[in-house]
Parts: sequence; C-alpha cells; structure tokens
Amino acid sequence: MGNLDMLSLTAYALQVLLIIMAVSIVVHKNNGTIIILITTFSLITASLYVINKAPDVAIAEVAIGSAIIPLIYVISISRQREFIVLDKAMDDFIIADNAFTGVGYVLLKRFTDFYHLELNICNDVRLCSLGAGRDQLLCEQTNVDLIVSKDDERNVYVLKGKASSILTYKLEAMARDYDNIEVVKFKDRDFGD
Amino acid sequence: MNPLLTFVVILIGFYGLSTSTNIIKSVFCVTIIESGVILLFLNLGNLDGGVIPVIGDTLPVGGIADPLPQALMITTIVIGSTVTALALMLCIKVFHHYGTVEWAEILSRESGK
Amino acid sequence: MIKQFVLIGLLAILFAVFFVSMQDIQELYNTFGKDYIAASGFADTGSRNLVTAILLDYRLFDSLFEAGILLIAVSGVIWISKHEIEEKNAQFMLDKFNTPDLFVTFSRLVYPLMLAFGFYVIINGHVSPGGGFQGGAIVATAILILYYIDADKETNIGLIVTIEKILYIAILLVASLSIVTRGEFFTNFFALDASADTKAIYLVLLNVMIGMKVALGLWTIFTAFLKEGR
Repeated sequence: MGNLDMLSLTAYALQVLLIIMAVSIVVHKNNGTIIILITTFSLITASLYVINKAPDVAIAEVAIGSAIIPLIYVISISRQREFIVLDKAMDDFIIADNAFTGVGYVLLKRFTDFYHLELNICNDVRLCSLGAGRDQLLCEQTNVDLIVSKDDERNVYVLKGKASSILTYKLEAMARDYDNIEVVKFKDRDFGD
Repeated sequence: MNPLLTFVVILIGFYGLSTSTNIIKSVFCVTIIESGVILLFLNLGNLDGGVIPVIGDTLPVGGIADPLPQALMITTIVIGSTVTALALMLCIKVFHHYGTVEWAEILSRESGK
Repeated sequence: MIKQFVLIGLLAILFAVFFVSMQDIQELYNTFGKDYIAASGFADTGSRNLVTAILLDYRLFDSLFEAGILLIAVSGVIWISKHEIEEKNAQFMLDKFNTPDLFVTFSRLVYPLMLAFGFYVIINGHVSPGGGFQGGAIVATAILILYYIDADKETNIGLIVTIEKILYIAILLVASLSIVTRGEFFTNFFALDASADTKAIYLVLLNVMIGMKVALGLWTIFTAFLKEGR
C-alpha cells in the first residue's frame, strides 16, 4: 500500500508539472524556446501514460515526441525566417569583386536584417532560363519571394514580388531612395490557382 | 482527482489557442490539447486501478486497466504527429504567400484586398 | 483585456461543467467491456497484450482506416511541399555545414541498435507492450539518424510512397482474408478455436506490415521537411 501511495503522489506531482509546462508554453514569446519546452512536455506526458497503466501509448509518445515532432517544428520555424531571392540579372548587382558587396545585396541585407529575416539568394540555371512572362507563375508556384532582373533599355534593376506579401510593400518603402532600383508587384490572383 | 487536473491542461490549450497571435503558436496549442485529451482518456480508463493490460495464463487479482481507450489513443498519437506536420507545411506556404505568420496581419491583408 | 476576462470566465464554466459531470462518473462508467476483454481476449485472439488484441482483432476496422488517414496526411504533405525546382543557396554553399566527428561515430554506433529495438518492439507486439504503430515510429527515428550522419543523403520519395501504397493494399487484403475462411469481415483468418501459437502468425504478420507502413510514412514526412530546410 505504501508503494501505491508513492505512485499516486508522483502522478500528482507530474500533473502539476505538466500544467506548469503548458502555461509556460502558452505565455512564452520565443518560438525557438518553445520547441524545447514542448519536448519536455511530451516526455512528462509519456511518464504519466506509464503511471496510468498504458505502456503501449508511452512507447509511441516517446518515439514520436522526442525526435520527429521537434525536428519538424525546428525546420518550419527556421523556414519562416527566410527570404528567398532568385537572381536573374547575374551581374555585379549582387556579387561585386567576388564578394557580396553589390548595391542590391547591401539593400537586401539591410532589409532582411531590419525585419529579422535570413537572406537566401539562389540562381538556379533552369529557373533563370525561364522567360520574363512566366515570372508571376514562378513566384506563385514555388517559394521564391523576390525575382531580380535587369531592364537593359532603361538601365534599371527590377525587383518583382507578390502583391499578397507584406514584405514586398516594406521592401518598396525601403528601396525608394535608390534611383536604379524599381519594385514591381504582381497582381493578386486566387490562392492555389 | 487526476482527470480534473488533466482537464486544466486542455483548458490552458484552449486559452492559448484563442489568444495566440502567431500561426506556429496555434499549432503548439493544438499539440497541448491533443496530449491533454489522450491523458484524459487514459485517466478515465484507469479509474478503478488495476495492472497494465498484458495478461498471463491467469487473470491478475486487482483487474486490469481498460485497454480500449489505450488502443484508440495509440493511433491518435501517430495520426496527430502527421496532422501536425501537415499544418506546419501549410504554415510555410502561408509565410511565402503573405510574408508573415501573424494572424492579425494576414487578416488585414485579406480584408484590404 | 475585457476579452481575456470573458474568455477565462467561459473556460471556468467549462471546468465547472466537467467537475459536475465527474461526480456522476460512476453512473456513466461500467466495466463490462473491460471484464469481457480480460476474460476472453487471449482465447479469442491469441494475444497476451490486450491492446494489440483490440487493435488487430476486435476493432481492426478502426486501425485500418486510421492507417489510411496516415497515408492521406503523407500524401498531403508531399503535395504541398512539391518542388519542381532545385533550390541552391549561394551562402549555404560558401560555408558548408559540418557534422562533428564524434556525433557521426556515435550515430553509426546507435543506428543499428535502434533499428533492432524497433523490430523487436514490432515483432513482440502480441506478447509485450509494443506493436506496429510504436515500432514503426522507433524505426523511423532510427532512419532519421542516417540524416545526421550524411546531411545530403538523397532519398527517392516517390518510390517510398509507392511501397507504402502497395503495403496498405496488402494490409487490407490480409485483413479481408477472414471473409473467405471465417465469413466475417476484418478479423483473424485462422479459425476461432485454433491454438494461440497459430493465431500469433496472423498477429505478427499484420504487426510487421503496419509497422513498415508507419515507418515509411514518417520517413516520407521528415524527408519532405528536410528538403524544405535545405
């Protein structure tokens, strides 16, 4: 009987700990810290499952909650700090003198640092070979946020972004000071066309 | 009583779900509610006490815990993780479409159209 | 602020309702099902683990279609994360990610042990706590370690999903065999009075198939996420 009392005492203690963890997950602001908290939360629930006579459920919870759930949270949170730019111009706009010192790079870096984003510049060969008419389709179908291209006649760099994205408007406000940079917004179509 | 404490966890999840400003935060709160529901099922299956539902040739003296809620909850955990993955994948798509994951900004963009 | 007080008040009402209903729980709750399963579960299904007995025999209908939900969720994740393009990050290529050597060595040591433990849990699902769903999750976690060793590992998602679909159809076929041998849907295909060892063949077969299906499904999901993360 003494053993059983000890077990129910442990159960109560773990339940109170679970409530504390749940409250801290709800009130915490930083999503990165919450991942650690949710892993702890899931391990506490697993031990409560064992106390509630369900070892099968506990094995499943430990296997899933300790590795796969934190992984997908980490990846999706890190992806939500990312600003993907497709560089079609391929000249000294981004890379000047073999380093990231071009005028466009400085602007984009200032922009992403200001909004705590991570700049990701890619120049995929197959994507860059697509014509300018398909830029809107490209923007909608892939995760690319911004397309950089060059208008040779006016000698102006054109940055194309989605009109639905709030970041395009913020970039437009920031790029107003530059003479040779122009921000173009695609018209909205229905999401998922 | 244990089920009452477990119900508090579910209510905290509801509170977080209705006050969260961030999509990811909402998904976290759904995870909390899900864990609370699983724990509530197991608590209710274990009201009379008893041993774990793995039996030998003779029945245990104190009876066993109810195996039916446990069988339902095993599938819930596996399905719940995949549904969480689906929700997070949709979050990534929403970020690249609206440029933000805050509910208020997304709603203002939608209504301002 | 007033909204939060209203919200807390509503949640308090919910808690009060739950508290009142918990007072009458003894009237709502009965032990007939529990007693029946405890008394005749082993004789009916040949499984000492009564949870497995319910999952794979009494309520096989539920488990099969919840495995179907898993397949649908996996298909949804793949469809949403579909990329026709190869994203190459210029900065990422400049400073390449390096896993520490100690971590790689330790992962190589742990990986076969985890795989073996996963298969142990799957195969002994009918005599000890475990079974297809749990073992499948452990095997998927073991496969995840391979990505820590080699971050650029290539995986053919299409092939994995095809195998998963074929496995799901095979699970449905094995489960439906009982309509020929016993005249009932979705139960053990051996006769009801067969010995426990004979019935265990069916349990192990279905556990292994469900375990492989769950492992492949979770593998697909985290591969899709890792591709997103690259």
